[in-house]
Amino acid sequence: MAGKTRQIKNLKKSFEIASLPGQIIVLIIISSVLFFILWPVVSVLVKSIIIDGKIDFSCYADLFTRNRGLLANSIFVACLSTILSVFFGTCIALYLTHTNHFGKKIVFGTLLVTMISPPFVSSLSYIMLFGKRGLITHNLLGLSLNPYGWQGIVIMQSVGYTTLCSLIIAGVIRGIDRNLEQASLDLGAGKIETLIKVTLPLAKPGLIVAALIACVKSLSDFGTPIIIGGGFNVLATESYLNVIGLYNLPMAASMSVLLLIPALLAFIYYRRQIRFSNFFSGRMNTNGIMAFRITGFIDLVIILVTWSFVLFEILKYSTIFWGAFAKTWGFNYAFTLKHIKTINFEKLGSIIRSLEYAFIAGMVGTIIGLILSYLIGRKKIWGCEFFDFISTLPFMIPGTFFGIGYIIAFHDEPFALTGTGFIIVVNCIFRQLPISTKAGLAVLTQIDPELEFSAQDLGAGRLSRIKDIIFPMMKPAFLVSFINTFTTTMTTIGAIIFLISPSSKVATVVMFDAIQNGNVGQGAVFANIIIIVVVFVNIGFSKLLLRHHGIRTG
Amino acid sequence: MRLKSVSLCFVSIAMFLLLSAGQALSNGNLMMFAAYGGKDEIFREFKKDTGITVEYLSMSSGEVLSRVRAEKGKPIGDVWFGGGVDSFIAAKADGLLEHYVPKGAQAIPTQFRDKDGYWTGVSLVTVSFIVNKEVCKEKGVEIPQTWQDLLNPAFKGEILMSNPSISGTAYTILTGILQTMGVEKGWEYLDKLNAQIPYYAKRGSEPPKKAALGEVMVGLSPGTYEELAKEGYPVTGVLPKDGTPWWPAPAAIFKGTKNLKEAKAFMDWCTSKKGQEILKKYCVRVPTRSDVNPPEILSAVKEANLMTIDFEKAGKERDALVKKWQERHAK
Repeated sequence: MAGKTRQIKNLKKSFEIASLPGQIIVLIIISSVLFFILWPVVSVLVKSIIIDGKIDFSCYADLFTRNRGLLANSIFVACLSTILSVFFGTCIALYLTHTNHFGKKIVFGTLLVTMISPPFVSSLSYIMLFGKRGLITHNLLGLSLNPYGWQGIVIMQSVGYTTLCSLIIAGVIRGIDRNLEQASLDLGAGKIETLIKVTLPLAKPGLIVAALIACVKSLSDFGTPIIIGGGFNVLATESYLNVIGLYNLPMAASMSVLLLIPALLAFIYYRRQIRFSNFFSGRMNTNGIMAFRITGFIDLVIILVTWSFVLFEILKYSTIFWGAFAKTWGFNYAFTLKHIKTINFEKLGSIIRSLEYAFIAGMVGTIIGLILSYLIGRKKIWGCEFFDFISTLPFMIPGTFFGIGYIIAFHDEPFALTGTGFIIVVNCIFRQLPISTKAGLAVLTQIDPELEFSAQDLGAGRLSRIKDIIFPMMKPAFLVSFINTFTTTMTTIGAIIFLISPSSKVATVVMFDAIQNGNVGQGAVFANIIIIVVVFVNIGFSKLLLRHHGIRTG
Repeated sequence: MRLKSVSLCFVSIAMFLLLSAGQALSNGNLMMFAAYGGKDEIFREFKKDTGITVEYLSMSSGEVLSRVRAEKGKPIGDVWFGGGVDSFIAAKADGLLEHYVPKGAQAIPTQFRDKDGYWTGVSLVTVSFIVNKEVCKEKGVEIPQTWQDLLNPAFKGEILMSNPSISGTAYTILTGILQTMGVEKGWEYLDKLNAQIPYYAKRGSEPPKKAALGEVMVGLSPGTYEELAKEGYPVTGVLPKDGTPWWPAPAAIFKGTKNLKEAKAFMDWCTSKKGQEILKKYCVRVPTRSDVNPPEILSAVKEANLMTIDFEKAGKERDALVKKWQERHAK
């Protein structure tokens, strides 16, 4: 251990980024992180305490007492959604890794498609399926349930986050050393005991990251409560309404700060539990022989959860798909092409613009994220811990908070950027930077620094070490980061809704507009185009990147 | 392969830089914040007549106001087209609008435009009950015709209205009822109505949509039922017989616009006789010009009992009224 540390130190010394271009790159990356993450966040905080040019804590005076109910609602929903989505995610992950049941490809395919979830239409299809006049609840079962309230929010959120949780947890479980499970079985432990005492504890990093992601996402989600919350309000929704309804930016800012507290606690817990783990590596250890198959009661639960999830999602996505062809979505499901015919060249322009933004955000975000992960992971810069924290910030704060921060920070000279497409792309890049950086760090921790060291001993220059060792091994991280940033940019609306201008209108905005104006069918056509385009790009990009590479993709 | 990836990176960085440069060059087009039906068709006709290209963003008037206020006199948009008149009045009070009386204004009655010439009404928006005929039939309830009808116990939990702090429509209902029934009687009625409403929607577009899907029987909304009926939903629209809240949907120019000439051209066009015919064709509403006939489907509006609403007063009272409403009714 000591020897290794010394080697790393040596490596560090000899590996300094000494050349001028190198230093310039480092400087650009660091200052962009400070400028596009720290500065907007600080701007919001300043805005909430400086009212009419004076320092004024009135927004905070009774912030807690006034919003106690809302805060309690937010935490209540976040806890339930987190527990449920981690539970569902674990079941589905175990189905993929620890059973021999049929249809694993269907389950995995469902997960990949449900990664892409255009806003609004999911909630709309939920109402159509399970609403008072829903296809299933009313037409099939003859019920007239009230789907609005916290139950609706929890169902939508937990099913929505299950996808990401399953993928993360499955990734970690696949990476577990099978010999440990085998050893446990050999020593006489039962399958259930091995699962509970060996497999799940080893998967703990994955479970915790999944829980953190679900929890923070739920806290900052305002779209779902708006549409299906009914009379049940949460903090994120109220903060959003304070901006658009009451034009009260300081109040909205202070409410976002309140929201930051539970998010921060969740993050601190996560940091204490794990540091960098290899859950984002995107590497599926498929040739690892399954140590054991789960049987009995737990197996039944796993099957039930997995297929209920798949069925629910298939129903949801078929509803969205059929919405594009149904005469009157939600009422008359006869076939028609009239909605498709309303899509003209002008409307398609927004899809092309979305694609352009998403592609740029994916590429640039990935490059910045990976370089940053290299600087942090190999401790190339002063204050790595600080930068690690800053680069995780966008993940912890609600999307609207980040969006508002951008209006405040980048409206005035000399940084007047509002109204440009540039600011939307930048917002998407830095909002997803935590995932890009974490993906890079996860891979980096798997690359032994000695590898670089020996390459150096063999006479490889600095550039060729990065080019020939780091870059090829970073490919899986590149893929995860690109797909994540690309997909979210194509489907996001929360953070950018305040940044869009007439000349930078993206596809989600056009879709929202159509739904808003009662043109629900056209909205569904747009949702489908987005889903299909993203599926194709993601598959195509994976194929292109992994073509000449020995990485097992599962 | 590696070379390809590297060049891919460079291409995307180059695109990124081009994007920021390209943005600065895309001037000359008219930037519009709009809350109006049939925008694509309307702006296509406008381009045919004037050669000016319009790029628009759909935003509710509350969103526009917050944004323009945040933009502090350096607006992204040039023209604000349609929406709740209360937001226009608030924007005028904040000095965010440019003074301009369009050429067609003389033909528009003074009650439909700002007396100081900061905004001009282009069409009338009437609040109606969007009623799901099928659910009413199923439950054996008559389609409500008046505000009093809404208090029928059969409608308990079946009426959706949006939150007046967000929606201009809901605020017009609130202020219209208080101004016509009188403050005391008005609140008395609103308390009773409040008991019928399960929750207040957070978007203006939600009540009609939920009524169309049968989630509620009645949605209080500006007249969008024609679009919903055209889509095939079993809805009808009712203009309340004991007083229909309404407002003029205005158009205005933002102060500090870079395209003042084009913006004025649009204001002139949409208040001209031809422009008003086109607006009427693509978004079914009553035009404000007295020499343009209302669309046939809306001929009922002529006979409708429009409430007498003082919009200046409504605009001034907004903050206080919304606050009072929140204390009494917010759920």
